[in-house]
Amino acid sequence: MRLGASAQAALAGFKWSGPFREAGLLLLFALVLTVATWFLRSDGLPLAADPMGYELELAAPLTVTEKALAFYDEGDYLFVDTRPRVDGDFQTIPGAFFIREASFDDDLLEYFDFMTTEDHFILFGDGDLFTVSNIAARMQDRGYQNLLILKGGLTSWLQAGGEISHRPGGES
Amino acid sequence: MKDLFVLACRLFVGGIFIYASLDKLAHPQAFAEVIHHYRLTPYPLLHPSAHLLPILELVIGSALILGLGSRGAALLAGTLTVIFMAAITSALIRNLDISCGCFNTDGGHDVGLDLLWRDGILLLLCLPPLLARKPGFGLDRFFRK
Repeated sequence: MRLGASAQAALAGFKWSGPFREAGLLLLFALVLTVATWFLRSDGLPLAADPMGYELELAAPLTVTEKALAFYDEGDYLFVDTRPRVDGDFQTIPGAFFIREASFDDDLLEYFDFMTTEDHFILFGDGDLFTVSNIAARMQDRGYQNLLILKGGLTSWLQAGGEISHRPGGES
Repeated sequence: MKDLFVLACRLFVGGIFIYASLDKLAHPQAFAEVIHHYRLTPYPLLHPSAHLLPILELVIGSALILGLGSRGAALLAGTLTVIFMAAITSALIRNLDISCGCFNTDGGHDVGLDLLWRDGILLLLCLPPLLARKPGFGLDRFFRK
């Protein structure tokens, strides 16, 4: 009862126009700041979200670049480049195997003596999770269970300053 | 005495909002994923929200701490808190096993009833600065008539 009376007293004659005007100005300022930072930030999110990246149920867990760099330094993981074959020179993570969607069986056969199902793998692409996840699922079918997918692909690896090797075209 | 209480509320709520904005500002992609986990935001609004919310929190927090437009900042802080409470309630009703993303975009506190209590207290602390008739301590005293 007393609380209600004190609340009534606090609100009696209270002008809401002031707070609403201030809130409007602050909101406007935040909007301007948001647009400005979106233009200035190089690592910013694109304005439009790709539903595929959010809805896709990945065949293997994602790992972030910081962890992948640590795994690379420790040497416990083998890296698998899943990007489509290119004609010209290209960059990749040193020591990476090439397993592509279009030549999956041939590629796997080629590395048969070097890759065992007990090995741990980090699969990466160019950021296209759908393809990498698809290859991860196919590798799992062949018994390779210790798989991780590099979030952001080679682009995030490059941005994080990860080691890179340059390969001439046709070598992949 | 009353002014000191209003100042304490402003500093507390402002500090919470600034702290909450920092990790989200540093990891916009992770924050977009946190928003997506609530399954409330349509895709066209997902990334714009992930851009705007942390900056809005930072602006609100700074305004409360500086005492500049503090009534408006308290109104926005209260409104945002009510929105957060509605999102948490909706996640609880739908039995979503997600982290709240309030202060940390990498895991953090799971959505639960305790969060509603915490946000309820935060909402109450927004009222004194909102209803303060006098500018009190802060930059508002130079602008408010």
